Amino acid sequence: MRERKKSSAVEVSSVKKKKEKKTKDNNEPREQKEKEESQSIMKQQKNTTSRSKKEKQRKATEDYQSLRESELSGDEVHGTDHDVDNADDHHEEDQTDGSEGHRGVEESDSSEDEVAPRNTIGDVPLEWYKDEKHIGYDISGKKITKKERQDKLASFLANVDDSKSWRKIYDEYNDEEVELTKEEIRLVQRLLKGKAPHTDFDQYADYVDWFKYDDALHPLSNAPEPKRRFIPSKWESKKVVQYVRAIRKGLIKFDEPKEEEPKFYLLWGDDSSAAEKANHLAYIPAPKPKLPGHEESYNPSLEYIPTQEELNSYQLMYEEDRPKFIPRRFTSLRSVPAYENAVKDSFERCMDLYLCPRVRKKRVNIDPETLKPKLPSRKDLKPYPVACYLEYKGHKGAVVSISTEASGQWFASGSTDGTVRIWEVESGRCLRVLEIGEAIQYVAWNPLPELPVLAVSAGQDVLILNTGLGNEEEQRRVKDLLHVETPTAPDDNMASIVSWLQHDKLDGIRLRHFKVAFSPLSIFSCIFVLVLDLGLVEDHLLKNLLLALMFTLDGVFGRMASQGRLPLHVFHPTRSIFFVSTKKNIRVYDLLKQRLIKKLETGLKEVSSIAIHPAGDNLIVGSREGKLCWFDMDLSSKPYRVLKCHPKDITNVAFHRSYPLFASCSDDCTAYVFHGMVYSDLNQNPLIVPLEILRGHTSSNGRGVMDCKFHPRQPWLFTAGADSVIRLYCH
Amino acid sequence: MDMNIETPEDQNEENSRRVQVRFKTKLKPPQKVPSNSIAIPSNLTRFGLSSVVNNLLQAVNPEWKSEPFDFLINGELVRMSLEQFLLAKGISAEKVLEIEYIKAVAPQKEEEPSLHDDWVSAVDGSNPGFILTGCYDNLGRVWKAGGVCTHILEGHCGAVSSVNIIKSDVCFAACAGLKYVTVATASKDQTLRLWKVCSGSWDCTISLWRTNDSDAAGNQVSIKKRKGNNQVEEPQLEGEAISTLVGHTQCVSSVVWPQQETIYSASWDHSVRTWDVEMGKDLSDIFCGKALNCIDIGGEGSALIAAGGSDPILRIWDPRKPGTSAPVFQFSSHNSWISACKWHNKSWFHLISASYDGKVMLWDLRTAWPLSVIDSHKDKVLCADWWRGDSVISGGVDSKLCVSSGVSIQ
Repeated sequence: MRERKKSSAVEVSSVKKKKEKKTKDNNEPREQKEKEESQSIMKQQKNTTSRSKKEKQRKATEDYQSLRESELSGDEVHGTDHDVDNADDHHEEDQTDGSEGHRGVEESDSSEDEVAPRNTIGDVPLEWYKDEKHIGYDISGKKITKKERQDKLASFLANVDDSKSWRKIYDEYNDEEVELTKEEIRLVQRLLKGKAPHTDFDQYADYVDWFKYDDALHPLSNAPEPKRRFIPSKWESKKVVQYVRAIRKGLIKFDEPKEEEPKFYLLWGDDSSAAEKANHLAYIPAPKPKLPGHEESYNPSLEYIPTQEELNSYQLMYEEDRPKFIPRRFTSLRSVPAYENAVKDSFERCMDLYLCPRVRKKRVNIDPETLKPKLPSRKDLKPYPVACYLEYKGHKGAVVSISTEASGQWFASGSTDGTVRIWEVESGRCLRVLEIGEAIQYVAWNPLPELPVLAVSAGQDVLILNTGLGNEEEQRRVKDLLHVETPTAPDDNMASIVSWLQHDKLDGIRLRHFKVAFSPLSIFSCIFVLVLDLGLVEDHLLKNLLLALMFTLDGVFGRMASQGRLPLHVFHPTRSIFFVSTKKNIRVYDLLKQRLIKKLETGLKEVSSIAIHPAGDNLIVGSREGKLCWFDMDLSSKPYRVLKCHPKDITNVAFHRSYPLFASCSDDCTAYVFHGMVYSDLNQNPLIVPLEILRGHTSSNGRGVMDCKFHPRQPWLFTAGADSVIRLYCH
Repeated sequence: MDMNIETPEDQNEENSRRVQVRFKTKLKPPQKVPSNSIAIPSNLTRFGLSSVVNNLLQAVNPEWKSEPFDFLINGELVRMSLEQFLLAKGISAEKVLEIEYIKAVAPQKEEEPSLHDDWVSAVDGSNPGFILTGCYDNLGRVWKAGGVCTHILEGHCGAVSSVNIIKSDVCFAACAGLKYVTVATASKDQTLRLWKVCSGSWDCTISLWRTNDSDAAGNQVSIKKRKGNNQVEEPQLEGEAISTLVGHTQCVSSVVWPQQETIYSASWDHSVRTWDVEMGKDLSDIFCGKALNCIDIGGEGSALIAAGGSDPILRIWDPRKPGTSAPVFQFSSHNSWISACKWHNKSWFHLISASYDGKVMLWDLRTAWPLSVIDSHKDKVLCADWWRGDSVISGGVDSKLCVSSGVSIQ
């Protein structure tokens, strides 16, 4: 046995050595062949070891049996000091026991020579027979009854009496009581201590190296050490050089180390952002319920607890507005009652999650400030009228119309009290009062400064009056102009419409209209333009021209008159173009060609006033609904800008002659001043900036400011009010 | 010497600080206080200081009648409490403070207004013997003191817009309305001299007129006009403008001719211009931003330009300052347009301004508040001037010529 063991040990050690060698040479690719050889050897050896193992086991069991027999015999020899009576029984039992244990041991190892156990139930849990009186069946099919079990008291008493009872074990499987021998107990004790079961077996025996190299005269291989073992490989170095060159040339590129993304992530971040990153179908997470705050603590600070007044006030609120949760204080967590709305709340939450449609809203995030047009600051647009410093008082009725003289030294105003007053701008002195007798509708100065002549429209007449201002030479010219021979030559066309008469009281001409087809308001400024164009013409030529003009416009005026409205009109400042407003539109006529050029659509309900920019390309139109339209004639027939500023009717609009200003006045007793810059560059649209609201007039009979006119040279605005006051607003 | 002075503020004296002051003055001995330093409460205002000085004077001279004084610290008039003043100006209250006192400048009495038939448009008080006024009823009037009209000067057919006494003893020129530039000279010594007159007008130009020597002998009044006159019996003289200064773009509202060679003009085109008479060119141009109504030259070295216009601010420029057209002083206590401004002809600091809000204000350059406000007019004040160096005369829309006398300016 020993020898066999030794031989196996030798084999094992040799294998070990070869393994070591293998590990040593593992790195060297040159010795691939050797490795293969060693591997094949190892396989063979493995086979042999597996075979020898089985043999060994069988031998070991045989050894154990013989050992046990010798021991048992020993037991017989030494067992005299114990009870001799039971010795035989014990021996028998021991034998069976030992054989059984032996078999049990062998079972685990191999199943070749297995002895059927006496137990017939097979390998089933014993619990199945726990409540049965039998356990299995014998070969004839009869039940094998269980042994009668002693009751616990009896068995205890028996155990007390029996000194060997501590050695006895009940074998439930075979339904019998087994008494362990001393050897077996010793063996069990050794096993408990974790030692080898056999006393003779030394687990930690010294290693004996049976194969000794030192004594060997010759090495195992007599072959000389090959040269390649100690000369560096030429081919390897060539390959290295090749690689080095390739790397230097950049032919070989190393993979750049991947930039590792940080492994941390935003713990409290919203899930939605993560969902947005994904390219697939957008997942819209349910909105999270609000996290509980301090007030939902079981013992919140006093400031969270509502007072009684607050609680009472909750009762007055709508149910929807009431706070859902009213904080309360509890001395300890134990005294917190169950939340009565728990079910309801969770149900509602579920309903919310279920019923609420979750759609991703594309909200355009635009700062409203950026949508506002970039307007220059008002400070940069100075000067413009700001404050009222002068008032011109004297009229007894509402001042309907004002007109400034070309130099800006005087202005005239007409009122419903039947007077026209001429004022000095600088001092506020009324220089002259002209009694007309009828309510004045309109006044206008001659735009030429050397002829200080005033036109007044009152009732059905137009009066052209001498103001009496200016020096003597001018006065003489004015008197020449305003002289009419009383018997005018009967002109068949003209006579039917208008007659020219010398005014009986005042120094001037009266144009009397016989056919009241339209208000004389509409034509008197035409006359002035004609006077200007032709100079001091003879009367009949003037009349003919006037007649031609009237026939041109007769259609329009006739229609307007039938609607019961006054037609508004302006002349183009430089060209022979004439603008007439119908109720909603502006018609533009060419006077030379005598035809309609353009029609401007205002989109307003009713046009109340029009004014033309001194350059002639822009027009502003005021309306009865308080809207102001700016037309750029070059752009389109639609308004360029519509300003909705006045809450009431706009009564008049005006442009400044030289400053980029325009104004509108309204029945709401205010006048608005705007900056209206028209650029000579055609690419640049006009710039309109609202500047100032001028207040001060009081309302009278529902009318506010009736007229507004700019000073011809200063950035000042005259406003005529229905409260019979004229105000001058200065910068 | 520590004097305990009874002042109106003595009640809360104990809870206010005291300041060591020394009063000094340029006034004559009866108004001079001993130059000892005294401790006074720091919450005293001008009135308190004035009563302190009066008390001191009374202590020296028992017959002293108290009169108001004004106080200067470092050349600035005290217009708030002493404590605030020191704090605002950053003056240490630890040192002995030197306070100069002068007689308070305020009109003592209001003389009876001289009534006209129409608005008073122009006034001149450069002759101490009489006041000359122009009126909207086309007449010029000569007044001797308050309410006594000595002469009525007829001749214009338009409202008189400006009057000016050319030589203090003999003549006056009236520039009447609008485009009738009429020069009238009146002589008391029955001689006419050669005058040069300048006038500004609505046609944006300034004209220089030369009045010719005429056969003035025997005539009490000789009137010279460019246009026809209804006073046929008087000799008429035609004159042509000898030169025209062109440069303003709008009407010239006011001109002054303080020196031989330069003319200053203010215009509605927002500028003040300085003209050289001989060359007929403008030397400098100060842009103001507002239409100007009146201009006057005076102040320190007769060089400061005061002008008022279509806003309630009286502006004063110093043309000697190079490079800037910003005003050196701005007085803005008025509420409406300023119609007239006049420097005192002796004092460097005092000027008056008249405004459409019906007030005439007396200004001192050393403080931003008006020294006094003469509120005798009920409507717009159109003109104002100094008279005799101690009176302010003003005329307005209420057809009155008001004289406020007793303004004591040394």
